[in-house]
Amino acid sequence: MYAVEAHDLTKRFGSLCALRNVSFSVHEGETFGFLGPNGAGKTTTIRILTGITRPTSGAVTIFGYDIQKETLRARQSMGIVSENSNVYDDLTAYQNMIFSAELYHVARAEREEKTKELLELFGLAGRQNDTVHGFSKGMKRRLTLAMGLVNSPKLLFLDEPTSGLDVQSNLIIRNVIADLVQGGVTVFLTTHNIEEANVMCDRVAIINRGQIAAIDSPEQLKKTIQSVQSIEVAFDHNTKEHLEGLRTLATVNDARKEGDKVRLYTEDPASVIEGVSAYAKQNNLRIISITTLGPSLEDVFIRLTGLTVGNERRSEK
Amino acid sequence: MTDLLFFIRRIPQELAAAWAIARKDMRTYYLKPNIIMSGLLFPLFMFLAFAVGRNAPPGTLIPGLISITILFSASSIEPVSIPIERRVKTFDRLLSAPITFHTLVLGESLSGFLYSLGIAMLPLGVGIAFYQTPVLHPAALVAGLVLAAFCFATLGTLFAAYPTENVGEVMSMLNLVRLPLIFVSGVFIPLETMPVAGQYIALCSPLTYANDMIRFAYDGTTHFSIIHDIVFLAVFVLIFQFVANRLYKKFNE
Repeated sequence: MYAVEAHDLTKRFGSLCALRNVSFSVHEGETFGFLGPNGAGKTTTIRILTGITRPTSGAVTIFGYDIQKETLRARQSMGIVSENSNVYDDLTAYQNMIFSAELYHVARAEREEKTKELLELFGLAGRQNDTVHGFSKGMKRRLTLAMGLVNSPKLLFLDEPTSGLDVQSNLIIRNVIADLVQGGVTVFLTTHNIEEANVMCDRVAIINRGQIAAIDSPEQLKKTIQSVQSIEVAFDHNTKEHLEGLRTLATVNDARKEGDKVRLYTEDPASVIEGVSAYAKQNNLRIISITTLGPSLEDVFIRLTGLTVGNERRSEK
Repeated sequence: MTDLLFFIRRIPQELAAAWAIARKDMRTYYLKPNIIMSGLLFPLFMFLAFAVGRNAPPGTLIPGLISITILFSASSIEPVSIPIERRVKTFDRLLSAPITFHTLVLGESLSGFLYSLGIAMLPLGVGIAFYQTPVLHPAALVAGLVLAAFCFATLGTLFAAYPTENVGEVMSMLNLVRLPLIFVSGVFIPLETMPVAGQYIALCSPLTYANDMIRFAYDGTTHFSIIHDIVFLAVFVLIFQFVANRLYKKFNE
């Protein structure tokens, strides 16, 4: 049985079509990533899958239950962690957890135990009696995730779980998600963090302008654009002023500055390496490192969406 | 059959979830300044504006004060809490939980109901302690307070269904209904002395029946009858609950 099956989902908000004929399925125990720029339709999809929003057309089943007709049964097995850390600031961490447990009908005997266990897991046990008002962004995020796990869900929806977090919170959340996956929990993750999708997901759907552009494992997606290879080179001098010069080398399709390095896209890495060596000698530069790279998930994303990360449309929300 | 059993088994769970929502609201919103202002101070000043200088005995003023206190306090929690929760996205938590819209409406109404009963003890206590106004029919008073508080709490929840994150928008719409109710429900002007058209309009106001019951508890006289008041308040509760449920469904799908 599939954990999630979405058939032909379309969602219109007036004249705006936020989703257009979106279909996919998520296997039980799988970590499925929904990758797309802001405004691509990720949050709309998650709201439809969790039954908060009704699609204009199409259907969703969660472990075989129709989310529109059997909403309560379907939701009972879900945990939902929304994009915003939607915790109650005036309640303590403990009260937030207990409230969430009560909403999900967790048996009274289990509530306390589960609450303590999760607060411990997310490093919040020492602050459980403090009101959330004084918590940092990372702590609120961890509490939000803990609240989403209070009913021991079989399916966890995570909407941008690590967006804008500190390193410690990021690490805790990623480790917990990895443990959940080990324990057989199905994870549906929306993110615009390509590296996160690459590392965490078994399969990734790339969504753009309300349509699925591709669905496959990160490695398979990379193979689809195998022709896009690149050379990453670092010089001992500032590389910025040489970007244009490097771009004009034979067989270089594009050049981009990445930190203190330059990345040159090509279909013929060998000739580019030769060209870079000659360019360095000619301009009195010393090459510190030079590496040949295969296509990344980011390359796939750029190829499919025509967008670079950080240069995204911001229309739908 | 399986579905029926599923829902029957769920009733205690749904009631527990409604109670959890009410408790969360009590902890979070009861002491918010705009709720204290709208639910407690506003009806008090409103009452003083009409009562001072009228030279009426306290026994005739206290029931009116209790009626409008119940109206304002019960209907003030949700119009504040729900738009705030929409803004900070905690309302999504309720919308995505495995509970029905009935449970959501019931839970939200319960917090206004309990808040209102607590606030109503103030004029009741003042009447007994300072003016020695006796309660002739305590059972009628309790029934009147309970029904009126629940009815107006549901009214507040109904107005809060309007999909806005702005507290002022809901409060403005609500006041457009609450303020006229005071003048057409026999709180300040006895129903008998109102023009015929006014008396017909009064029939459409739940405050009319609430005020009639509370007044009966104090002086033993009613414009209608206690049974009539109870039935009509119960009908208003059911209508408000039904409409609120439909509106939350409509606006959140």
